[in-house]
Amino acid sequence: MLQLLLRLSLRNARRRRARSLLTASMVAFGVALLLVALCWMQGIFGKIEVDAAGQAGHVRIATEAFAEREQLMPLHENIADIAPLLTALGKQPGVVAAYGKISTGVTLTAAEEIGDVFGLAVGASPEYFETYGGLKSKLVAGRWFSRDSKQAEEEIVLGAQLAERTAVELGQELVLLGMTQYGSMSPIKGRVTGILDGSGIFGRQVLVPLERLQWLADMEGGATELLVFAEHHGRAVELEESLRGLPALSGLKVQAWSRRAPFSTVKGMTDAVGGIIAAIVVFLVSLGIWNTMMMSVLERTHEIGVMRAMGLRPLGAVAMVMAEAAGIAVVGGLAGLLLGVGPAWWLETHGLSLGEQTARQMGGTIPIEATVYGDLSPGLMLFCFLLGLCMAVLGTTLPALHAAGIAPVAAMRSGR
Amino acid sequence: MQRPTPTSTLSAIAAALALTTALVMQAAAEPPSARELLKRMDANLTFETRKARVKMTVEGKGRTRVYEMVSFGRGQDDAAVEYLEPRRDKGTKMLKLGDELWIYLPAIERVQKISGHMLRQGMMGSDVSYEDMMASRELEKDYRASVTGSGSHEGRDCWLLELKATKKSVSYQRRKTWVDKETLIPVKQELYALSGKLLKTWTMSRVKLFGERRFPTHMVIRDHTKKGSSTTIEMTELVFGIRLEDEVFARRWLERRH
Repeated sequence: MLQLLLRLSLRNARRRRARSLLTASMVAFGVALLLVALCWMQGIFGKIEVDAAGQAGHVRIATEAFAEREQLMPLHENIADIAPLLTALGKQPGVVAAYGKISTGVTLTAAEEIGDVFGLAVGASPEYFETYGGLKSKLVAGRWFSRDSKQAEEEIVLGAQLAERTAVELGQELVLLGMTQYGSMSPIKGRVTGILDGSGIFGRQVLVPLERLQWLADMEGGATELLVFAEHHGRAVELEESLRGLPALSGLKVQAWSRRAPFSTVKGMTDAVGGIIAAIVVFLVSLGIWNTMMMSVLERTHEIGVMRAMGLRPLGAVAMVMAEAAGIAVVGGLAGLLLGVGPAWWLETHGLSLGEQTARQMGGTIPIEATVYGDLSPGLMLFCFLLGLCMAVLGTTLPALHAAGIAPVAAMRSGR
Repeated sequence: MQRPTPTSTLSAIAAALALTTALVMQAAAEPPSARELLKRMDANLTFETRKARVKMTVEGKGRTRVYEMVSFGRGQDDAAVEYLEPRRDKGTKMLKLGDELWIYLPAIERVQKISGHMLRQGMMGSDVSYEDMMASRELEKDYRASVTGSGSHEGRDCWLLELKATKKSVSYQRRKTWVDKETLIPVKQELYALSGKLLKTWTMSRVKLFGERRFPTHMVIRDHTKKGSSTTIEMTELVFGIRLEDEVFARRWLERRH
């Protein structure tokens, strides 16, 4: 019986080629559109996720008071002695690396007078900046920190926006004027050895080794945050759960990056946006399929009536119409993938430029770059293909139910 | 003519005495003019030269920090401060000349001029801002004053003085001052913003006599924009009218090491 229904579906599809082609085209268009859109979205937000988790730490440890008011960067709410904590963390399963970090606002000057150039000074290990921040690859001039830690202490890597505003050049001395955790004015100076890409948040940052900011903040051996890294940022929640029970961390706030603001809201938002885009495309294409399939069923009312009179059950009528639509959707879906893979691959390799200005404006908190690349994967292609099948199923539901409801006698009398 | 009797003479004298006493008492009860009060306050608080050893205790953010410094003053416009303790801040110097303020930071062996937004920050994280340090001590120049009555502060009888700024550039647009009736020292001041918000409370006590001058040696400043914050300033080894080297009030003094 099933074989018969499938043969009938295929015959019906071939009998009305133009309509079948139209239906397949709609599916192809929908699948191609979804592939390109989701490829780009996945690229943007996937990269943001990786960069955000890298900067924020897969798991972040800080005092409760710091976590509550971290937007104000309260230096006095710090972890006084991080060395024993880093040792304890290093022994934990699942922990690949852990680093101390201090961030504070500074005024930068290369001249005699303190001006109005403000930046964010970030003190951490150069290894952290390079491995998890990916910042060495963002150098546009000069070189990275020296391997010799003593030498590195005198070095500064500066964001391009700050370099431009202070008019400082490579090799020149720069003074960072900040405050100790007690509120006293506190300066450090160093030589600018490297300049970072100006777009995004890094353009307004100045990077120094942790020891320098510990001195500036009068926080010897301390830090405001401990950043802990797992094998992959996707394991952050798991790592958070395992670190919470560590006695050395009692009284401190342990949080996975995806559970911290603003990442927690951004992740939910991006998932929702992707879902909405997919839902809209599926709905619109389904409407078109509904139209063509309904026409097909109405034209064959007499034929279906005869088949019903000959013993075809309502479920069989539904199966027949659905199978026809599914077959068209498979062809349309494959065509859609072929159509969409070209632009998606181009997005992945060449990216789309948002422009430095837009990246700077958007990059206040979330790391975003001037050029955004797509992320094409076999998983995404399969997902879009399956959505194509969903479009067909959704669009064909009402026509199939109509076919199932055809009264045989009335249908045969109608002669259609 | 009848000669006055001893009794009538005595009565006349008593009446005259009573009248004089009443007049004097009435005069004493009348508040001095605001201008007069300000003048006499300024006479106590302003000086030609002054040197002092100062201990500043800053409490806030759950911590207490103690700074020791030596402070020089010349007239209304010039002041110099060198920090002696704690060790991290030793050698930090500040120099005010007129409207300009410089700081020498030994960590970077550099002199920086402080201007703009930096002026509003507290000195060494204290409740006394650089702007407070820059402000003219002669209140008469920047305020219009009126005596609004009497009050008391910590058991001391005071005149209540209300001051309103005559320029928008003045940090505290309104001041409410308790002026000790005896010492003519502003034992308490409330400093307000243009919006009417209370910004700081400044109290002065332990007034000592230096020749004809009375000067407070203990001050407490509370910045109400910071939670739980206060700064206590104690002056010891306070001397006025001494000869100070001109070099102290020159920029080269900032980079001079002892």
